[in-house]
Amino acid sequence: MDRLDFDMARALTRRRLLAAGVAGSGAMLAAKALAADVDLRLPGGPSRRAMTSDFPQKGAMILQRVRPALLETPMEVFQQSLYTPNDRFFVRWHWGDLPTSIDVETYRIRVGGHVSHPLSISLAQLLRMPRIELAAVNQCSGNSRGLFQPRVPGAQWGHGAMGNAKWMGVSLRHLLDLAGVRGGAVAVRVGAMDKPLVAGAPDFEKSLGVDHARDGEVMLAFAMNGEQLPLLNGFPVRLVVPGWYSTYWMKMVDTIEVLPAPDDRYWMAKAYKIPSTPHAHVVPGTKDFPSEPINRMNPRSWITSITDGATYGYDPVLPVEGIAMGGDVGVTRVEISGNGGRTWEAAALGREDDRYGFRRFTARIGVPRPGRVQVMARCTNARGETQPMAANWNPGGYMRNCVEPITVRLS
Amino acid sequence: MRAPSFGVIALVLIGATLAVLVAVSGRERAAVPVAAVSAAPDATSVAGGGITLTSTAMELPDDAAVFPEGPNVDLVNQRCLACHSTTMVLSQPKMTAQQWQAAVEKMRDAYHAPVAEGEVAPIVAYLAGRQGS
Repeated sequence: MDRLDFDMARALTRRRLLAAGVAGSGAMLAAKALAADVDLRLPGGPSRRAMTSDFPQKGAMILQRVRPALLETPMEVFQQSLYTPNDRFFVRWHWGDLPTSIDVETYRIRVGGHVSHPLSISLAQLLRMPRIELAAVNQCSGNSRGLFQPRVPGAQWGHGAMGNAKWMGVSLRHLLDLAGVRGGAVAVRVGAMDKPLVAGAPDFEKSLGVDHARDGEVMLAFAMNGEQLPLLNGFPVRLVVPGWYSTYWMKMVDTIEVLPAPDDRYWMAKAYKIPSTPHAHVVPGTKDFPSEPINRMNPRSWITSITDGATYGYDPVLPVEGIAMGGDVGVTRVEISGNGGRTWEAAALGREDDRYGFRRFTARIGVPRPGRVQVMARCTNARGETQPMAANWNPGGYMRNCVEPITVRLS
Repeated sequence: MRAPSFGVIALVLIGATLAVLVAVSGRERAAVPVAAVSAAPDATSVAGGGITLTSTAMELPDDAAVFPEGPNVDLVNQRCLACHSTTMVLSQPKMTAQQWQAAVEKMRDAYHAPVAEGEVAPIVAYLAGRQGS
């Protein structure tokens, strides 16, 4: 097809629906916004987003894009639950052509490339293999991109392109060992069932170095918080790469390919590249800089019990609560400031299930008199990295991890 | 792989029927969640080690929205909506014409958006003009 336009895309969408057995007027649902909307407080706007509950297996989500779906988790979900419920977990797809039905009896995962014994693994076989389970945060590379200043193009996320879940599955190492990785292997490329809508466009696939892929923690997960994954989160199997950004957490995985040379295809060579500088920071507007594929996450924290810009009744003690993550290592401490960062006090930390998951923190801030209060949290991880006060900048809008102040009025 | 089993077809038909019934009954969508996904009793499944995976089908909401009126809007609808809905574009921050041009060229060069050489300028004119930049 040398020309693809709106009508053809609509026809293709309809073919997919017909293939799934849907006919008649029920097929075309408009993603109607709920009456409520949300203000993401993005500098310069547009800042308001509709809320939607129109997506399958999803509750109320912030609508960033209908097709392909980009759905953001509202911040109150993180206050309500340390583990993000599956029906509130953020959604991000690159290409619009994704399967609308999955048959668990015929689904296969192919393991091939630079291996001794190429495999085709059924889900029944996968469920019989040795399992691992761990808690881990899945965060979009561009989480909080909408807060970059100067602003950058891309999905204009607030802070909700992330979630924390308990993932259960089979280590990628187990599958690679069954297939027998041959000498000279350098990378493992993972492909999935979503496909581009236009001919010749780069199929979405990502690679990990072979040692990383075989670290025993990278897994093919078939359960999320004890249940099968929602389709929009990658049912039946997604890759979990603890401590690394979500771009590597391939959904609907169907191919695993061992490579004898580095992956030079688009999604590793050109997309999701960050400056090779501390905090992936460059002076705004900079275009030419040494770059590398985005990789491990950095420490972050969010105050979730109070809302920026809100007014609350005055009390000399303001209790605050929030969540923190260490990145690819655990959280060592979270500190709180109620005076714009002049002084900091240690917050109390909740339990750590796994070093890759969210950690709850609580603190009490003395407020001598009614008025405006700026509250900050900052996380330090086990590598000794502390969230900086200043925001980083890069043209991709990646890896924001500065302190995120919350200003409230107490009256 | 993508050919659905009888069970999958059945559950989707049940879901579609429910959606139609909801629409016919005229009740508020907010009050009655649309059964876009359901697990029919006869849906196929595989199990092992206390975990059961059940075949699932979904209807994704379609977005019929087109871009707000403006010069060259038909061209923008034709070329941009093939891959993504309007919401992505309409939520972008204010950008200069030069920035919009870079975005359109990235869509064309990296993602094979069907944009001919002479179409970049009118598309950029619409996108920048809409923001008053």
